[in-house]
Amino acid sequence: MRTSTKPSKLSLLWLQGATCNGNTHSFLNYPHLEAVLERLEILYHPLLPSRYRIGELEEVEKCHILVVEGGVREGVKRGNREFKELLELFIEKAQWVLCVGSCAVYGGLFGERGVALKGEEPTPFYLPKVINIPGCPAHPDWIATTLWAVVEGRELIRDHLLRPKEIYGYTVHAGCPRNEYFEWKVDAREFGKREGCLFYELGCQAPYTRGNCNQILWNEVSSKTGVGMPCIGCTEPDFPQENLFSTKTYMGIPARFPLGVPKRAYLTMTGVAKSFKIERLERRLFEED
Amino acid sequence: MKRIEILEKVEGEVFLHYHYRQGRIDHVEIEFPNYRGMERLLVGKPLLDALVITPRVCGICGHSHLIATARALESMASMEIGEKAREIRRITLSCELIQNHFKWLYLVILPLLEELGFPKVPPFQGLQGANIAGKIIALFGGQYPHTSYAIAGGVVCDPTSLDIYRASILVEELHRLYEGEVQRGGEPLFDGKLLLNRIARFLLDHGVAELGKGWGRFLHLGASEAIERGERREASTEKIEEEPSRLGYATNLLYEGKYWEVGPLARRLSDPLVAQLIEEFGDGLLSRIVARVSEIGWLLEEVRESLGKIDLSQPSTLPFPTGIGGYGEGIVEAPRGSLIHRIWARDGIIERYTIWTPTQFNLANGTRENPSVAQKGIRGVKEGTVAALIFRSFDICSVCTTH
Amino acid sequence: MARISREERKRQIMDTALILFSREGFFEVTMADIAQELGMSVGNLYNYFTSKEALAKELILYISKLLGEEIRKINFKTISAREKIGEIVRFYFVTAKERPELIEYFLRIYLANREIFKNGCEGFLCVSPFVTEIMIFFEEGVRSGELRDQDFFSAFGLFMGYLGGMVFLMGEGMLPNEIDYYIEDISENIYQALKA
Repeated sequence: MRTSTKPSKLSLLWLQGATCNGNTHSFLNYPHLEAVLERLEILYHPLLPSRYRIGELEEVEKCHILVVEGGVREGVKRGNREFKELLELFIEKAQWVLCVGSCAVYGGLFGERGVALKGEEPTPFYLPKVINIPGCPAHPDWIATTLWAVVEGRELIRDHLLRPKEIYGYTVHAGCPRNEYFEWKVDAREFGKREGCLFYELGCQAPYTRGNCNQILWNEVSSKTGVGMPCIGCTEPDFPQENLFSTKTYMGIPARFPLGVPKRAYLTMTGVAKSFKIERLERRLFEED
Repeated sequence: MKRIEILEKVEGEVFLHYHYRQGRIDHVEIEFPNYRGMERLLVGKPLLDALVITPRVCGICGHSHLIATARALESMASMEIGEKAREIRRITLSCELIQNHFKWLYLVILPLLEELGFPKVPPFQGLQGANIAGKIIALFGGQYPHTSYAIAGGVVCDPTSLDIYRASILVEELHRLYEGEVQRGGEPLFDGKLLLNRIARFLLDHGVAELGKGWGRFLHLGASEAIERGERREASTEKIEEEPSRLGYATNLLYEGKYWEVGPLARRLSDPLVAQLIEEFGDGLLSRIVARVSEIGWLLEEVRESLGKIDLSQPSTLPFPTGIGGYGEGIVEAPRGSLIHRIWARDGIIERYTIWTPTQFNLANGTRENPSVAQKGIRGVKEGTVAALIFRSFDICSVCTTH
Repeated sequence: MARISREERKRQIMDTALILFSREGFFEVTMADIAQELGMSVGNLYNYFTSKEALAKELILYISKLLGEEIRKINFKTISAREKIGEIVRFYFVTAKERPELIEYFLRIYLANREIFKNGCEGFLCVSPFVTEIMIFFEEGVRSGELRDQDFFSAFGLFMGYLGGMVFLMGEGMLPNEIDYYIEDISENIYQALKA
């Protein structure tokens, strides 16, 4: 006979530093949010029904999961307290600390630093209980599945920046619908066309940016590179760089190469690819014969 | 007597310094904490990078900031975008508003109504509505939130006819959800069983429908309109003044030296339902809430219309000149009202960037003698929850306000 | 004669073919001529190269690798772009002088008879080892701030066109001096044209 026991809920506190709330809203986009929330007791979340109000956080005695969104920055207030004080208080109390979004992870656009990292450098809070989920914003699936792993008591393998490898072991380039154009080095020279690779001229950082955006898609339907917008490298410690809509080149050669690909290997391969003219890829996709 | 309360679920928090007199709120000082320095961050950056940076002002209305930036850049270059790009932007911008309104209703307003005795409504249907709107944006923009698909000169996407059909199907689904749960167009407001009907009756029965009245002055800068006591006239951003902060980090926005209301109530004055409500109950809580919720219905119509109009054979983007300078201004009707970006640049580099957000109009921190719309609306209210409801009826965005 | 490996034998064939092509002209020399020069049977030669065209392609690849290898060594040196230009020019001219058949094959046969190379040697396919190293030389020179950023081909054309032109003049016997005589001035000219 099957017995159904109600799984226990883990308590969660979602704390915001210097932020735009983008990760809060990204998480709300998770299509199966209700199922995830079934397993969590929300002590505090900026928008979801919560047990405590922001001014009552000092009353919270225990929290299993601390989610931090936003950068660490002097002067940021939550309720009547300094964000930094609350952060330190709950890092101490929590069993897991999930830093969601590039601000909480590295400092990003708004933080003086992240929680466990300042850029790539560890802070005093570089602790085994921290899981870093960078992105601007973090994809809802990254937040939800990481939470689920914690709820299930499973540990995720993380890299040296405490990021789950199953998310950040890929590059955004993997799965890009424009891959054929990258392979055969057919460049898009202007925006607004579904043909062509955005890496050579239009600033796309997908080949050296970590994340599985093009495998799980955004909002279940598309991705930036899918619609023709360059990847802006939002999961990386150096986000945002400058001149995001054009590729930095030296004498026509990209300043940065695909992740882990040596310069000579890259130039050899692209030189070979460029030597052929693939008629199909030079044409518009739906052009009539 | 003075008491400070924290208003939350407003994309951050607001500190409200209430002054009571004989048990009623007599004045409130509004303090927005948490400054990030967005405008300063943009100085020295290449012009186009603003398209990536400004959406990050806000997680719930970042797309409006993107469109404002794009329009400001195009105004600097004195260029008009093509019809296709214009329709696509209209779709995604409308969807951001829809997304916002669903979340506002289900996550911000209903929990407060529940405190006042309204039956509990779980947030998930509202989130479903918001998600579908986000999906439509992602079909054109790649993702939501935080896409920068609208670039100076147009849009980067080159949708196929199937993308248009996908969007149309999602719009119909959204429409079913809206008409099935929230409000059915053309039905009497106080009679139906749907959410907005029930809310309207509740506000009426609760005796709060007429609270929270503003000055009867509305700005709809997206249509270049200023409407004062029913009279429309041409509006111009030149008449906007920025007043330094009296408290916290937000500056106040005035128009012709006065405080005005921006937002759905201002832009839907010609909606017969809204007009009738204002006539009967004034520009208060009920009118403001109904205007915002029923705007979803209008927006869905606009999205449908644009989807039907897009000519896919047109170019998605027109060439944008490099290394330009001068001044550019972008106005957008964002979820909360008129949003203005102004850029000064030289040789393609930003020298100065200012952002004026709707909440800086609605929740300006005026004085007891000259209160802003929200400050005026709160006057005389006894109960804290009702006061919070009045504030939230403006749909406040804390992060946008200080930016 | 000591038994040599297939690879070495192949190299011998290529070296001999290069000299013959350079002396007699590509179209004048037959596979039989090459076999005869090497003292091998034509049948055996075809074991190494299935056709004259196949040989032609392998030759350009062989030269490209040889030149690429040397430039790669220069690229790896921790010297300035200016010094690297000097070394590349010197290497190129010395090669043209000591083994003129290499450079001549490249200039007079590969570049002048593209139709022979259209299948299998498209674009930069057969000169990739050489071009890749030149690319890296440029890229690193710009990255370090020593050279001016510009389109690759405008820089490549200036550099290689110049060197090729000089070797061509040398081959035609039109240079009043030995080619080494020009190394310093030409290096300086190239540097002046490319510097940031």
